[in-house]
Amino acid sequence: MKKVSRRDFLKGIGTGGALSVVGTITPGTSDNGGVKPPKSEGATRTTTICPYCGVGCGIVVDVKDGKVIGTEGDPDHPINEGALCSKGAALRQIGPDNPLRLSKVKYRAAGSDKWEEKSPEWAIAELAKRIKDTRDKSFIKQADGITVNRTEKVASIGAAALDNEEAYLISKLMRSLGITYLEHQARMCHSSTVTSLAASFGRGAMTNHWIDLKNSDVVFICGSNPAENHPISFKWITRAIDKGAKLVVADPRFTRSASKANYYVSHRPGTDIALIGGMINHCLQNNLYFEEYVKNYTNAPCIVTKDYAFEDGLFSGYDSAKRSYDGKMWDFEKDGDKVKKDMTMKNPRTVFQLMKEFYSRYTPEKVSDITGVSKPELIKLYDIFCSTGRPDKAGTILYAMGATQHTVGVQYIRAYAVIQLLLGNIGIPGGGINAMRGESNVQGSSDMGVLTNTLPGYNPAPTQKDHPTWKDYCDKEVPKTSYWSNRPKFMISMLKAWYGAKATPENDFAFDWLPKSGKGFKGQGCTMVPLMEAVKAGEMDGLMIWGANTAVSHPDAGSIVKGLGNLKYMAAFDIWETDTSVFWKGPGSDPKAIQTEVFLFPCASSIEKEGSIANSGRWIQWRYAAVPAPGEAKSDLQWLNLLGLELKKLYAAGGAFPDPIVNLVWNYGEEADPHKVAKELNGYDIATGAQLKNFTKLLDDGTTACGCWIYGGVYPGPDKKDNAMAKRGKEDPTGLGLFPNWSYAWPVNRRIIYNRCSMDPAGKPWNEAKGTIWWDETKKDWVRNDVPDFGWKDAKTEAIKPPKDSAAAPFLMNPSGLGHIFAALKLKDGPFPEHYEPLESPVKNAMGSQQVNPACALWDLKPLVGSEEFPLVGTTMRLTNHWQAGAMTRNVPWLAEIAPEMYVEMSEEFAAAKGIKGGDWVKVVSARGEVQAKAMVTSRLKAFNVGGKTVEMVAMPFHFGFNGFVTGGPDKSKSYAANQVTHRVGDANTRIPEYKAFMCNVVKA
Amino acid sequence: MPYSMLVDVTKCIGCQGCQVSCKNWNDKQADKTTLGTDFGNPSTMNSNTYTVVKFDEAVAADGNHWHFTKAQCMHCKTPACAGACPSHALTKTEAGPVVYHRDRCIGCRYCMLACPFEVPTFDWHKAIPSINKCSFCADRVASGIEPACSRTCPSGALTFGNTEDVVKLAEQRLAAHPEKYVNYIYGKDEAGGTSWLYISDTEFKNLPLDESVEKAAYDRYGLSVMNKVPGFAIGAAALMAGFFFISGRKASAGKDGDK
Repeated sequence: MKKVSRRDFLKGIGTGGALSVVGTITPGTSDNGGVKPPKSEGATRTTTICPYCGVGCGIVVDVKDGKVIGTEGDPDHPINEGALCSKGAALRQIGPDNPLRLSKVKYRAAGSDKWEEKSPEWAIAELAKRIKDTRDKSFIKQADGITVNRTEKVASIGAAALDNEEAYLISKLMRSLGITYLEHQARMCHSSTVTSLAASFGRGAMTNHWIDLKNSDVVFICGSNPAENHPISFKWITRAIDKGAKLVVADPRFTRSASKANYYVSHRPGTDIALIGGMINHCLQNNLYFEEYVKNYTNAPCIVTKDYAFEDGLFSGYDSAKRSYDGKMWDFEKDGDKVKKDMTMKNPRTVFQLMKEFYSRYTPEKVSDITGVSKPELIKLYDIFCSTGRPDKAGTILYAMGATQHTVGVQYIRAYAVIQLLLGNIGIPGGGINAMRGESNVQGSSDMGVLTNTLPGYNPAPTQKDHPTWKDYCDKEVPKTSYWSNRPKFMISMLKAWYGAKATPENDFAFDWLPKSGKGFKGQGCTMVPLMEAVKAGEMDGLMIWGANTAVSHPDAGSIVKGLGNLKYMAAFDIWETDTSVFWKGPGSDPKAIQTEVFLFPCASSIEKEGSIANSGRWIQWRYAAVPAPGEAKSDLQWLNLLGLELKKLYAAGGAFPDPIVNLVWNYGEEADPHKVAKELNGYDIATGAQLKNFTKLLDDGTTACGCWIYGGVYPGPDKKDNAMAKRGKEDPTGLGLFPNWSYAWPVNRRIIYNRCSMDPAGKPWNEAKGTIWWDETKKDWVRNDVPDFGWKDAKTEAIKPPKDSAAAPFLMNPSGLGHIFAALKLKDGPFPEHYEPLESPVKNAMGSQQVNPACALWDLKPLVGSEEFPLVGTTMRLTNHWQAGAMTRNVPWLAEIAPEMYVEMSEEFAAAKGIKGGDWVKVVSARGEVQAKAMVTSRLKAFNVGGKTVEMVAMPFHFGFNGFVTGGPDKSKSYAANQVTHRVGDANTRIPEYKAFMCNVVKA
Repeated sequence: MPYSMLVDVTKCIGCQGCQVSCKNWNDKQADKTTLGTDFGNPSTMNSNTYTVVKFDEAVAADGNHWHFTKAQCMHCKTPACAGACPSHALTKTEAGPVVYHRDRCIGCRYCMLACPFEVPTFDWHKAIPSINKCSFCADRVASGIEPACSRTCPSGALTFGNTEDVVKLAEQRLAAHPEKYVNYIYGKDEAGGTSWLYISDTEFKNLPLDESVEKAAYDRYGLSVMNKVPGFAIGAAALMAGFFFISGRKASAGKDGDK
């Protein structure tokens, strides 16, 4: 925080390097026409990071006399260089001056139709009492003879909008209570990313980072719309284009991203695997792949066992009664532990040959019939992107919800992984598979393990089925090779951070104190959809919801608004009322009949608290408080701290299995200090209390403690100056935009992961113009402009390892050491991505007799094919000016002004046939329900020619609802949430719902 | 000195960040709006909105096109508004901005009539109304900071700098990519030349930039001409302003009554 003097203005707020200025601006003239000094002069300036999407833009907040007088892009920030989209530019209006901000705790009694104001002390005490009561009554100590220590009657949702320190405390407190229904937004946006990328490369994160887009030769946008949803990415895409790169876009709609493309194709929603399958086929048939890379760095030469087979849409090992596969059927031939290989890749059982055969079915004709893209268009698209299959070229794929939200979401991203491995685009500057995160800290809250199936740092959360004991956990989850062989160090250090001296070798470091999840609701697990199904079924007593708006974001949202009334109590923590916290006065609700108690805790916004968030490119950046939160509003960290302290107090007097609560290390002070939590994330030596340098210092003997191992290095010393997340160094030695001294990137400050692949086996960069690391043969050492993501020195002796030692294991998180073209033993729905139709589709699956993903969770739903009642393909999407479920933007007047109303995009031809004019109110109807929307009639949507017929599509933004400054329409008794027509069928691996392709109809309102 | 802004329409992604940062810097409120037939909202500039991004979609032989064009005061080199203003409430600064001095304004709205780009707007609903338009962030520029809109632009659609540098940049882009750009810089000559310049990959007739604006400076509304306007015309203008004020008050009162 600093005072802005005139001098600062001229110096620090300068324009050097900014894209938006040519030459220099000379301040002060003899005649400035009587112009007043700028309002920010003399203000106190604080830096922060934008709370909206996952780009992680820097913003400065100017405060005078305790008031925010302005916000704007931080010109020193290397990602945005002062730029912001409309959302970021509107940050000021989420500050304390927005009259909709909450400043008092509110409570809604059972059956009441209004809020009452309550004291924070009362509300925390009452909430803690209810949680304890539920937990004590529902606690399951043992199940089938296995210690499980869980409760299935309380759930927690949210953290993607919170800081890492807050998300971590949610993970720590909720698990210690025994809560297994612990979820957040990542489930609904990028859960398929994490599973898919981890199965392909070893980690679930975006491989490169935002600035690195400038190093691309071909940027392929498929399943995303960054111009509208991650606008600052276009700073770097534009820079690539200015240097001659090509931008290609595949999207069902002609988007703002498409408007900037060199080449654009429009494909039917739900057909990307066919589109990319065709590209894989084209690449293989025309020898466009990067052979040396494929042979050395992928599992293409590995020999697959005879058990693997594929016929008519089914892989071997399928059990139709269980709708699941025995994944053990998809494995490699081995000599002892060693996988058999044929380096010529000619053996018909090599991955390479099996892949070639598999994708030979994806002929241009077939793909054209499925996607609606003509054959010449396909070939042109394929040729442009496959031009990067050379050592000196880099191609990147940018995707987001258009890819993830399908019954085959994981396999969509697997298809990207296969083509990117074939083209040698992983691990190199300008390459990668870049999963664009849509929430400012959805990466961080995933890192913190706020998901039912992962602990902090992506250690699997224990389950009753797989991990009855610590020994079982180690047997199943600790591989002999790969970096995950260190998992016991990470787990034990986490347990020491949680349970301190009570975690001992004798009690397996209190492993059993962690809840082991069961089969979940109706055997479908504990992820977001089964969680809400349990709520709807009245099987959940309590729900805590942290900065999330499930009543708008969840599929079949109409049923959610009704279902929330089956809770006994809800505690919402937010900066304002959301559609979710006021569900009891929502459309069709009769408050008198709803017996749910609702606690609404007022929270601090991102400019009113301190803490860190991780952007999509894994940069963990620190934010500062610019102004105090209004009234009694507090950071989520303070509320969590108060709740934790209260529960500890209650359990000190006894209760069901109090051990993990009374012994929980919860030493953050009366007023929780985010720095203290951040230091715990980093890890420390228990005996000396000294902060650890990074996670390589963690041990499995109980002498080190670390909250989240991958965050090792974020706070390696005791003082605030040691906070690596707050670093603002602007050095960029390579000119490739790595900015190693700006913030801290996990793991160990690596900016591009899998970077061994950027070099040939001898350690020479494939493209010397874009080398970040290479082997210096004369010095016998590595030149390291990025942190090597491979074994470059011996962990014990520190002796430098020559290139040959790492050439066989460029993907050090994978036990095989290789990139997985064939995902052996990893996924629930096959080792190669195969096209299946969405659950609701206009056509039969042209690839085989399996209409939908044979392993996806159907619930009570059935495939709908070629319905006359619902002839239109529907999809949901986002808009620049709004964000997610809308609570954070519909309450912001500057954004509401630009995008005040719900709409549905449709083609001009369809509108003409139905007699609909632009601006007319219409109804979008599906088997779930209906939503009103204004018709947006546009030439940017066109019908598809697929399966011998013409199919129209419509698209709706999912930001609108029924509560807030704007709701989406004029009728206050209605919800304008698009998700009222979407359905909850989910991906086979992660249960992410299929928001992006369903069938519907549009009728005049 | 003086300064100009280049708008490269080929680079704008239509995020409307400029629109919001303009409001943020100028402390302007949001209006209550409804959605029209495209995403441009508010659809025109008004007393709370100094800049808007306009959306134009089209289908040509080579497929779809979608253009986003920022509109605001063009900051003419010889501003017709300043020429028409009887009270020197609008002046052209050396640095380029055409700035408005509220304390000198008599509310005659000659500037609105005079502007060939129809930019200045009037506070119809305020008791003491002002003329409103983009100031080219004259206060920032005078302190050596670029305008709020170009600072916020993500994709390089806006480039601020010395007029000479900006014109050179525009010419370089046209020369480097003749296959892409239309060989014309809008604003270089329009209305005698403006501080805001546009380059585009589509004919300017496809954009919301008025091609009928004359190349010569619009000095026909200069004070010398205005001085010859009969006194009653000025009186009529003042009377009209009064009517608008009253009807505006009624309209806003009606709105309040609906609440």
